[in-house]
Amino acid sequence: MRKKFVFVISAFLGLAVFGQVPALAAGDSEVVGLRRLTEQEYRNSIADIFGKDIVVQGVFEPGKRVGGLIEASTAILSITPVGFDSYSKMADGIAVQVTSEKNRAHLVPCKPKSASQPDDACATQFFDHYGLMLFRRPLTGDELKSRVKLAENMTKASGDFYAGLHYGLATLLQSSEFLFRKESAVPAGAKDYTLDPYSRAARLSYLMWDTTPDAELLRAAEAGELNAPGGLEKQVDRLMASPRLDVGMRAFFSDMLELDTFDNVSKDSLLYPKWSVAMAASAREETLRTAIDLSLHDNGDMRDLMTTNKTYINRNLAAIYGVPFSFDGDWVAHDFAPQDGRSGVLTQVSMLSMFSHPGRSSPTKRGVALMEIFLCEPTPTPPNNVDFSVVNNTNGPLKTVRERLLAHATNSVCASCHTHSDPIGLSLEDFDTIGGYRTTENGQSIDVSATIQGKSFAGAQGLGRFMHDNPKYPACIARKLYSYAKGVDSEDVEPSAFKTAYKAFSESGYRMRSLLKNLAESADFFGAPAPAAPANGTKLASQ
Amino acid sequence: MKLDRRFLLRGTCQGAAAVMALPFLDCFLDSKGQALAATGARIPTRFNTFFYGLGLTKALWVPKTAGLDYETSIQLKPLEPFKKKMNVFSGMRVLIDDNPNFQHWSGVGACATGISPTRTSEFDSKTIDQTVADVISRGTRFKSVAASCAGDPKQSYSSLGGANTLPAEATPLSLYTRLFGPGFQDPSKGDWKPDPQVMLQQSVLSVVAEDRKRVMQNLGASDQARMDQYFTSVREAEDQMAAELKRPDIVAKVTIPAAPEEMVVNNALPNMRKVTPLMSRLGALALATDQTRVFNLSVSEPGSQIFVPGDPLGYHQSTHEEPIDPILGYQPRVAQYNVYSMELYAAFLKELDVIPEGDGTLLDHSLVYAFTDVSFAKIHALDGIPLLVAGGASGRMKTGYHIAGDGSAVSRVGLTVQKAMGLSIDGWGGGSMETKSPYTELLV
Repeated sequence: MRKKFVFVISAFLGLAVFGQVPALAAGDSEVVGLRRLTEQEYRNSIADIFGKDIVVQGVFEPGKRVGGLIEASTAILSITPVGFDSYSKMADGIAVQVTSEKNRAHLVPCKPKSASQPDDACATQFFDHYGLMLFRRPLTGDELKSRVKLAENMTKASGDFYAGLHYGLATLLQSSEFLFRKESAVPAGAKDYTLDPYSRAARLSYLMWDTTPDAELLRAAEAGELNAPGGLEKQVDRLMASPRLDVGMRAFFSDMLELDTFDNVSKDSLLYPKWSVAMAASAREETLRTAIDLSLHDNGDMRDLMTTNKTYINRNLAAIYGVPFSFDGDWVAHDFAPQDGRSGVLTQVSMLSMFSHPGRSSPTKRGVALMEIFLCEPTPTPPNNVDFSVVNNTNGPLKTVRERLLAHATNSVCASCHTHSDPIGLSLEDFDTIGGYRTTENGQSIDVSATIQGKSFAGAQGLGRFMHDNPKYPACIARKLYSYAKGVDSEDVEPSAFKTAYKAFSESGYRMRSLLKNLAESADFFGAPAPAAPANGTKLASQ
Repeated sequence: MKLDRRFLLRGTCQGAAAVMALPFLDCFLDSKGQALAATGARIPTRFNTFFYGLGLTKALWVPKTAGLDYETSIQLKPLEPFKKKMNVFSGMRVLIDDNPNFQHWSGVGACATGISPTRTSEFDSKTIDQTVADVISRGTRFKSVAASCAGDPKQSYSSLGGANTLPAEATPLSLYTRLFGPGFQDPSKGDWKPDPQVMLQQSVLSVVAEDRKRVMQNLGASDQARMDQYFTSVREAEDQMAAELKRPDIVAKVTIPAAPEEMVVNNALPNMRKVTPLMSRLGALALATDQTRVFNLSVSEPGSQIFVPGDPLGYHQSTHEEPIDPILGYQPRVAQYNVYSMELYAAFLKELDVIPEGDGTLLDHSLVYAFTDVSFAKIHALDGIPLLVAGGASGRMKTGYHIAGDGSAVSRVGLTVQKAMGLSIDGWGGGSMETKSPYTELLV
C-alpha cells in the first residue's frame, strides 16, 4: 500500500516538474465528489478572496441533515432554479462591488491602458488571478478565453473597461466550478482513486478554516507538495497553528451539534417572555465558545464537554441561568456551582431549548437528538406495521410526561424506540423549554432518574457522567469529523475508515487537535472509491 | 437569515446605482372585462397547492351527505363561501405497500406524487405541481413559486424529485422581491421597452452555459445528474430573462402594492394569520400578472408546529397527548386547531377569488390542490386523508361536490386534477396507488 502511495506521489511530482497542471492534465482523472458550498463556506470564501467589505446578501438554498450532518448533504444536493436565481444575483452584486470605483484600485491587479477601451492583457491577468482563487485551480484555456472575450464585448458595448470585468467576474461567481467544490482524483492502484493536489488543498482548507485555499496552499498544490508526506504535514501543521482553525472547528461543531436548528425555533412568548431571537443567537454562541475553548484553546479532553462546569455567558443568558450579570463587555467566563445542576453542553440553553416544544420541554425530542448527536445512534424509523392505536388510550390518569412515556415503554411495539431515547430526555426534566432550572412542574416534584443500557443514574449530572464514560461518545466525534471532512453519510461509514485517527484521539486523551491532525494525515483521507459510471445513453434534461 | 429591505429593492443589475421605483400596476379591464381578449391572449389556467399539517377530525369534517349540495360540516365551515367552487374528497386511502409508515411524511409523499415514499423527507418523483408546470408554464417568468407562511424555506412540498426540493420564499418581503422586485416588467407602462440590463445578463448566462460540455465530462452517474440539474437551472434562468424581454401582454385589474414591511414570521398563530393572507395576495397577484402559473403555499411542516400563545402543547403535541373527550368523541383542542388550518386555507382562496378576470375570478381560472400529511394525527393514520380541491380550471372541472369515501387511492384525485389542467397523461402514481381512473364525472 505504502509503495503504491509513493509511486503516485512521484507521478505527480513528475508532472509538476514539467510545468503541467496535474489536476487537469491527467487524462484519466475522474470527478469523485461534488460538494455544494454551504452558506458559510461561500461567505468565508468571498471574504477571503475579495475582502470583508464585500457585502453578500441573498438567500442560500437550505441544506439537509444526512447522518447527523448538513455537510454530508453537500455531496448530494444540486442547485434548483430557485437557488440558481439567487446565486446569479449574488454573483452580480459581488462583481459590481469588486469592480466599483471604490474598490478597483486595490482589487484589480492591473491598470488598463484606457478605462474606456478593452485591454485583453489586463483582463487576462484579472480572470487568471480570481479564476484560480474561485475555482481553486487554474482556469483552462477555454474558460479564460471565453471570459476575456465577454469582457471585451461588454467593454465595447458600454465604453467601460470595468464593466467588462464586472460581467466576466459574474460568470465565474455563478459557475458550477465555484459553487461546487469539485474533487478530482486519479487512479491509485487497481480499484482506488486518490485526490489530485488542488482537490486536496480544498478539502484541507474547508475542513480546517472553512474557506477557500489561500495562496500558500495553492502554491503547495501546484508544486505537488500535498501529495508528499512531508509536504502534507507541513501544510497541516501550518493550518492548525493558525487562529483560523477556530473558524473551521466552529463550523464543524455548529454542524455536529445541530445549532442551525435555531433557525426554526420559536418559543411561546406568553409563557416564556424571556425568550427572543437574540437569546437564540446568544445560546448558539455560548455553546460554540465552550466547544472551541475546550477543544482548541485548552487542548482539553473532549469527554469533558459532557461534564464541564465552565461556560461563557452574556446578559441574555444570565437571565435564564439566574446569574446576576454585572460585568462590562458582552461575554464573561462563568463557572457553575455543583448545586446549579448543570453538566457541560447537555444543560446549556442551546441543547435544552432547540429540542423542546414552543411551550414545553420534550424528553423524547431531547433524547432522540442527544442520542444521534453524541452517540451516533439515530432512532430507527417505525416498522411498516406499527399500529399506533395501541397507545391511543392515554385518557386515563396519566398526569405527568414521565407516566405517559412509560406507558409507551411498557408497550412492546413502542418500546423499541421509546426505551432507546426517552431515558436521556427524562433525566433532563429539571430544565424547562428555554433551559431554566426547575424542580417542580405543575406543582409536582420531578423525577429525573433514568436507566440506560443497564446503567442507572439521576439528573443531568448523572447523564453527563454516563455520556463522559461512554466509549461511544468519543467514537461518535471521530465518526462525525471523518464524515464531515469527506462529505459522506456518517451512518454508512465503517469504523475501520477512521480507525487510525480514532486510535490517536484516544491515546492522546481525546484531544481534538490530535484527532484532526491524524485524520488529515492518514492514508485514507484523500482516497476515494471509483465513481459509478453513468449508464450509456443517460437522458439529460439540460441537453 | 435576515435580509435588508432596502438592499432587496435595489436593482442588482445596476448595483448600488438606483433604487427601483416600486412597480405600480393600474390598468383596468374595460366595462365588459374584455381587455384580455383585446390583447389576443387567453386567460391561462393556473395551478396551486396548499399544504397544511395534521389533517382534520373525521367526525367533524366529513360532510354527512354526498354529491352536489351536500351538507357543510363543522370543520369545513370556513370554506363555506367557496363551497360551490370546490370539491371535497373523503375516505381517500394512502397505500404504503412495503415501505415504512414514515410518520408525517408518507401521506405527504403519496398526495404530492402518487407514490409511497421510500425515504423520509424526500419525494420519489417530481411533485404534482412540477409535472403540471412542465406543461403550463412555458413562457412565464417563473416556472413555479413556493412560499412558506411559517417562515421556513424548507417547508416546501414542491420538488424536482429526490432531495431537490424547491425552497420556499420564507417572508412576505422575500416573496415580494422575487416577484415584483428587479426584473419585474410592469405591464401598465405605456412606453415599455426592453431593459438593456437584461440583455447584458443574458450574455453572462450564455458564457456560464457554454461551460456545460466540459463540466459534464468525467462525472459519475449521480454527479452527472446533479450537474444536469444545475445546467437545467441555468437554462431556466435564461428562459426567465427571455420572458423579461417580452412586452407583458397580461393586463389584469390589479394593483401591485408597495413592498411589505419586515415582520415576524413563525409558527405562532397570530403571526400566521397576518402572514398567510399577505403571502396569498402576493401569489395571487403574481398569477394575475402571469409572472408564474404555479404557486405553492404552505402554512406548516407535516406535524404542524403551529401554536396558540399560552398553549404549552401546541398543535402537534396536542394531537398526540390530548385525550379524546369521552362525551364528544374527539379531541376538542385539536379540533380547534383543525379549524384554524381551514381558516388559513380560506384566506388563500379568498385572495384568488377577489381578483376579477374575464367573466369570473382568478380562482375560476385556477385549481388549488390542498393536501396534508395524515388523516387522524394522534395515531399517524393515513386512511381517509382529506383532499380539498378548489377552483374551476377555466371550466374544465365541475365543482360543488362531495365525493364520499369509495376507498380509492389518493392518486385518483391527483390524476383528476392533472386531467383538468389539460395534461395528456393516462395514469399517475406508483405501486398500489398507480391509477388510470380519474373521476371522469368531474371533468368537463
